[in-house]
Amino acid sequence: MAVRERIKPEAGKLVDMAWDPITRIVGNLGIYTKIDFDNREVVSCKSTSSLFRGYSVFMKGKDPRDAHFITSRICGICGDNHAVCSCYAQQMAYGVKPPPLGEWIVNLGEAAEYIFDHIIFQDNLVFVDFCEQMVKETNPSLWSKAESTDAPHAEIHGYRTIGDIMRSYNPFTGETYKEALLMSRIGREMICLMEGRHVHPSTIYPGGVGTVATPTLLTDYLSRLLRCLDFIKKAVAMNDDVFDFFYEALPGYEEVGRRRILLGCWGAFNNPLYCNYKYTDMDNWGNEMFVTPGVVVDGELVTTNLVDINLGIRIMLGSSYYEDWVNEETFVPTDPLGNPVDKRHPWNQTTIPKPQKRELEGGNYSWVMSPRWYDKRTGDNLALDTGGGALARLWATALAGKVDTPFVKATGQSVLINLPKTPNTAEQTLEWRIPQWSNAIERDRARIYFVAYSAAMAMHFVDQAFNEIRAGRTKVFEDFDVPDEAIGCGFHEAVRGVLSHHLVIRDGKIANYHPYPPTPWNGSPTDSYGTPGPYEDAVMGQPIFEENDQDNFRGIDIMRAVRSFDPCLPCGVHMYLGKGKTLRQVHSPMFGEHG
Amino acid sequence: MPNINLGPQEVTPDMPAHTPGIQQGNAKGSYEKMQGHNPDGTSTSRRSTGVNPKAQEPIDPSMPNLSPG
Repeated sequence: MAVRERIKPEAGKLVDMAWDPITRIVGNLGIYTKIDFDNREVVSCKSTSSLFRGYSVFMKGKDPRDAHFITSRICGICGDNHAVCSCYAQQMAYGVKPPPLGEWIVNLGEAAEYIFDHIIFQDNLVFVDFCEQMVKETNPSLWSKAESTDAPHAEIHGYRTIGDIMRSYNPFTGETYKEALLMSRIGREMICLMEGRHVHPSTIYPGGVGTVATPTLLTDYLSRLLRCLDFIKKAVAMNDDVFDFFYEALPGYEEVGRRRILLGCWGAFNNPLYCNYKYTDMDNWGNEMFVTPGVVVDGELVTTNLVDINLGIRIMLGSSYYEDWVNEETFVPTDPLGNPVDKRHPWNQTTIPKPQKRELEGGNYSWVMSPRWYDKRTGDNLALDTGGGALARLWATALAGKVDTPFVKATGQSVLINLPKTPNTAEQTLEWRIPQWSNAIERDRARIYFVAYSAAMAMHFVDQAFNEIRAGRTKVFEDFDVPDEAIGCGFHEAVRGVLSHHLVIRDGKIANYHPYPPTPWNGSPTDSYGTPGPYEDAVMGQPIFEENDQDNFRGIDIMRAVRSFDPCLPCGVHMYLGKGKTLRQVHSPMFGEHG
Repeated sequence: MPNINLGPQEVTPDMPAHTPGIQQGNAKGSYEKMQGHNPDGTSTSRRSTGVNPKAQEPIDPSMPNLSPG
């Protein structure tokens, strides 16, 4: 594990650079760095958040059936992921299994969410960092090279040079930018068809859905999906061309945002043929998910067992504005299988906020806690990241080799994605291969491949849902009673990575509720063992390729590294603190994030 | 509880949405009470309309019953 190293700034050598808040992401994320301009390297990085949410505080005492409606409001872009995850946790607590058609409808809605959200983030936000204007301003020599380099997949996407592709990424004027906006709108229409509303679904409930399943519903969805597929096929080819160009044109660029391969994926798309929401069977039905859950350490798949994944979760403090909960109540001493549950597990967590001054040097500096995963082989508490969601999902699914559908197949080293013929494009088979590194470029590349993965999976789910409807099995909801005492956990993938909801019910009310979205994992500060969070770890030690001098420094490589994780801390105004010096320090511990 | 100075509470934190005695849509047995939903998970035209639903059934009994949304 990388261990936090105290850097002593030396006059004239290290320069403090801060971006707080970082723009084009959701929420209040601040990145504080020390940059050695002589050696073109970032030597220290701190990731902070100044937003406190408190869902785990105010969920207590509420009716558990409200949990998915309330927790959906955690996020203004992937709220439906929270609603679905909460329903998974509630279904476990209530002991109810939705009818198969209900499950296929949820999967269709979630597939559309991945398509919409990844497209809008990739093409409208990430690619601003890779567009003509930005590259011209930060790496002029790279731009002249891009103008003269032929695009290898020009016959698929129609852009002759890499420069032409980058021009199409220009915000507000570029062709790809504008087309992506349209595609993300279509994606949201698809979600609304299945889940009633976007971002906060109105027809997703524990026990099933309220969507009335008819052939028209599915054909309306399918016609939109086919339209997206035309765009996706082109987009994958464009992404490959641009990212390969960066590796080629800037030797060493693989070091940008690179960190040890520590990836977590909690699985997505339950298979109703196997999933019964019983904790005791969670290993079996978790392995039948259409995105396999898994923890990947140094390229090795450690486990795909959701029970192991669940029991390994540890919530650490160390640099966060909270009091420890060691002396508070232990809600769940053992899980339903008899395994001991750690005091630092979300089931046993009590959130005790303690607002204080931000102290970046050796003190507390973030409202985000530090979720870690306990590796029982080594005894390490691993700072897993999600690789922006897509990288971990594809990596775990590829290594596990369990997913096998007519449209997607995991091979053990790669994932094969078959996209059917669509109005403007021919049939296409894509192969996402496990990359050599977990770095900024591969996180970004995986994102568009996962869009293709979701679209292909959606084709499968449409087929399965049609089978149910054609057989006349239109039931989408199962009745249940709320027990007085129960526990539940839901494992899902928010668009940008792992998502878990842990629920304890007592007297028919919520006694404890802890949602853990991906950004606490990715954006966590240094924990009590001194292990830095993934953003800090990825940026620390990375080389600087930007050609600008210290006075005109934009920090583009750092921004590419941080944005590759798809940060989502529920939005702020840009406040660049000029010439690498902090002009004014404001100690405001409020407005930031904890899921 | 956190050691923070707070203003007076405006609501009771322990305030579940459900009022005892009111029927719950999710309660076991609710499905059977709904018109047009069969115990085997299929449905009839009565699910969609109360106006002469029998006239809207499929003309061939072997056909799936797909009532309009």
